[in-house]
Amino acid sequence: MKAALGQEGHNRPNSLRGFPFERREAGRSPGGASSATGRSLASRALLRWAENNGLFFALVALVIAFAVASSRFVTGSNITVILLQVSVIGVIAVPGAMLVLAGYVDLSVGSVSALAAIVFGQVATQIHLGEGAALAVALLAGIGWGLMNGLLIAYAGFSAIVVTLGGLAGAQGLAEVLSGGITQSNFSNWFLYIGNGSPGGVPLPIWILLGAVGIGAYVWYAMPFGRYFTAIGADRSTALSLGINVRREILWLYVVSGLAAAIGGIVLTSQLDAASLTIGQGEELQVLTAILLGGVSFVGGRGTLFGVVIGVLFIGVLDDGLVLVNVNPFINDVAVGAALVFAAGLDVVYRRLERVRRSMELPPGDAGTAVTDDK
Amino acid sequence: MTSTVPILELDSVSKRFEAVRALRRVSLALHAGEVVGLVGDNGAGKSTLVNVISGSLRADRGRILVDGVERQFAGAADARRSGIETVFQSLALIHSLSITDNVFLNRELFHPGLLGRLYVMDRRRMRRHVMEGFEQLGLTLPPPETKVAALSGGQRQAVAIARAVLWGSHIVLLDEPNAALGVKQTEIVLSFVEELKQHAVGVIFISHNMQQVLRIADRVVVMRLGEKVFDGPRQGLEPEDLVALITGARQT
Repeated sequence: MKAALGQEGHNRPNSLRGFPFERREAGRSPGGASSATGRSLASRALLRWAENNGLFFALVALVIAFAVASSRFVTGSNITVILLQVSVIGVIAVPGAMLVLAGYVDLSVGSVSALAAIVFGQVATQIHLGEGAALAVALLAGIGWGLMNGLLIAYAGFSAIVVTLGGLAGAQGLAEVLSGGITQSNFSNWFLYIGNGSPGGVPLPIWILLGAVGIGAYVWYAMPFGRYFTAIGADRSTALSLGINVRREILWLYVVSGLAAAIGGIVLTSQLDAASLTIGQGEELQVLTAILLGGVSFVGGRGTLFGVVIGVLFIGVLDDGLVLVNVNPFINDVAVGAALVFAAGLDVVYRRLERVRRSMELPPGDAGTAVTDDK
Repeated sequence: MTSTVPILELDSVSKRFEAVRALRRVSLALHAGEVVGLVGDNGAGKSTLVNVISGSLRADRGRILVDGVERQFAGAADARRSGIETVFQSLALIHSLSITDNVFLNRELFHPGLLGRLYVMDRRRMRRHVMEGFEQLGLTLPPPETKVAALSGGQRQAVAIARAVLWGSHIVLLDEPNAALGVKQTEIVLSFVEELKQHAVGVIFISHNMQQVLRIADRVVVMRLGEKVFDGPRQGLEPEDLVALITGARQT
C-alpha cells in the first residue's frame, strides 16, 4: 500500500490538522490487542483500580468507622456541614493539584486568603468604595500575588518552595500592616449571602466548590492542559523539546492559584462576617495534604482530579468525624499531620503497585529489558 | 526505489572545535527509502555529524541540502520543520501518559465546531489516527490508551520513531537506538526500520553494533578522525572489514 507519508508532509507546520497520510476507513484495528488471558486481565484491572483509588477505600472505611461510632454522622445536615467545611480548601486544591502535578507548589495560599480578606475589609470600610468594588480589589490582590509568584518562579527561575514560603510570611505580614490588627465587620446582606446563602437548598460555598471542580475537570481533561502539566512534571526537558510553553502554563497556574486563594478568603470573610487576620491559617497544610492524599505525586507527573476530590473529602470527613466522636480538638491537627505522612507513604505504595502491575503486563521475557523509569 | 535527487545531501561539511577538526569535508547522500549505517569509533565525528544534520550545531563550511534545496538550520526545531527528526536514546516520551497522548502531545486534535472552539480535545479521532497510522507503518503495539510506562524498551523506541514519521519527518536519525535493548527488543526496532523503507523515509542509523548495521543498512558510511573513510553498499562487507576501517587498520 502506498502511504502519502513524507511526500507532502515534511513541510507542514505543526498544525492541528492531523497526520498527513490519507484517511482510510479502517475496521477494528489490529492494534495488536495484548495477549492477556482473562484471569490476568481481571487481576490487572483490579490492581490498576486499587493503584489509582487507594484513598477511595480509605475514605469508605473512615466513613463506616464514624458512622458506627456516631449516629449523627451520616445525616443530610452533617454531610452538608462536611462539604461546607472543605469548600474553601477544595477550591484552592484544584489549581494547587495542577501545580503539584507539574512539579510546583504554592505554599502562600493561606496568607493570600488572609490578605484578600483584609484588603476587602479595608477597602469596604476605610476607603468606602462599596463592597462590590472592595470584592473586585480583593480578588485582584490574589491575582496580583499569584502573578508575582508565577513571574518569579516560571520566568526568573526562583525555587517554588522558597518564593511561596516567602509569600506565606509576606502576604500575612502585609495583611497585618494593612489591617493595623483590627478586624472589620458588619458587612451588608448581599455580601454575607456569599458564605451563608443557600440557593436551591445547597449552601453557596458548595456551589462554588462544584463550579471549581467542574472548571478543573474541563481544563484538566477536556482541554490539553492536563497532559501538558503531566509532561512538565514528569520530564521538563522533554516538554520543552516538544514545544510546550512551560513558563506560560506555570505562570497561569500561579495566577489561578492566587485567585482561588482570594476567593477562599472572601468566602470565609462572608461566613464569619469578619475580615480577620486568622482567616486562612493552616490552609496551605490542609490543601497540600488533600492533594497528596489524592495521589498526586509530590515529584510531579502523576495524579487525577478525582483523586484530589477524594483527598479533600477525606480531610473533611476526618475533621468532622473526630469532632462528632468528641476527640480533643487539638488531636485534629495531629490527625491531619498523620494523614500527610500517610499520604507520602501512599505515594511509595502507588509506585510499588505500578511496578508490580507493569511486570504483570509485560511478557515474561521482556520484563528485564524494559527501561525502568523510577525517579 | 532510489530517486535521483537525494532527500538529504551533505556537501563538504567541516566543523572545528578550537584546534580539533571534528568534521573534515564530509559529503554524504541519503535517498528516500534508504537506510545508511553510520559507524565509527568514539571521537570519529559521528555525534558532530548528527548534531549538524539535526540543526543542533552549525557547520563552519559546506552545504546541507534537503530535497535538493540548500538549508541553514537555526536550531533543532528548524531542522524538524524541514522534516529531519532525531530520535535520541531518551526518546522524549512521557511515561505516565498513553501512547496516543504522547503521539499528539502539543499537537492535539480538537472537536469540530463549538466544542473545538472551547479547546475540547477529540480523543476518539486522535486514537483512530494513531491506530491507522501504526497499521500503515506495519507496527503492532498494545492498544493506544496503554501508558508508555507499560511498554517494553523496543516498543517505546518504535513509538518514538513512528511519532516522528507520522508527523511528516522523512529523514530520521537514529542515534544508538538499541544500546540499552535486549535481543527481542532490538528485533522490534530493526524490523520497524526496515518497514520504513517502504514509506519513502530515509534513515541514518548510528550504531556500534556491526551485525545490526550490516543487517539493516543498504549502505555503510565509516567515519574516522573526522573524515569519511568509506562509503559503499553493504554487499560483501563483513563485520571485520568495518572494524578494520574504523580502527584504520585498512585504508581505502
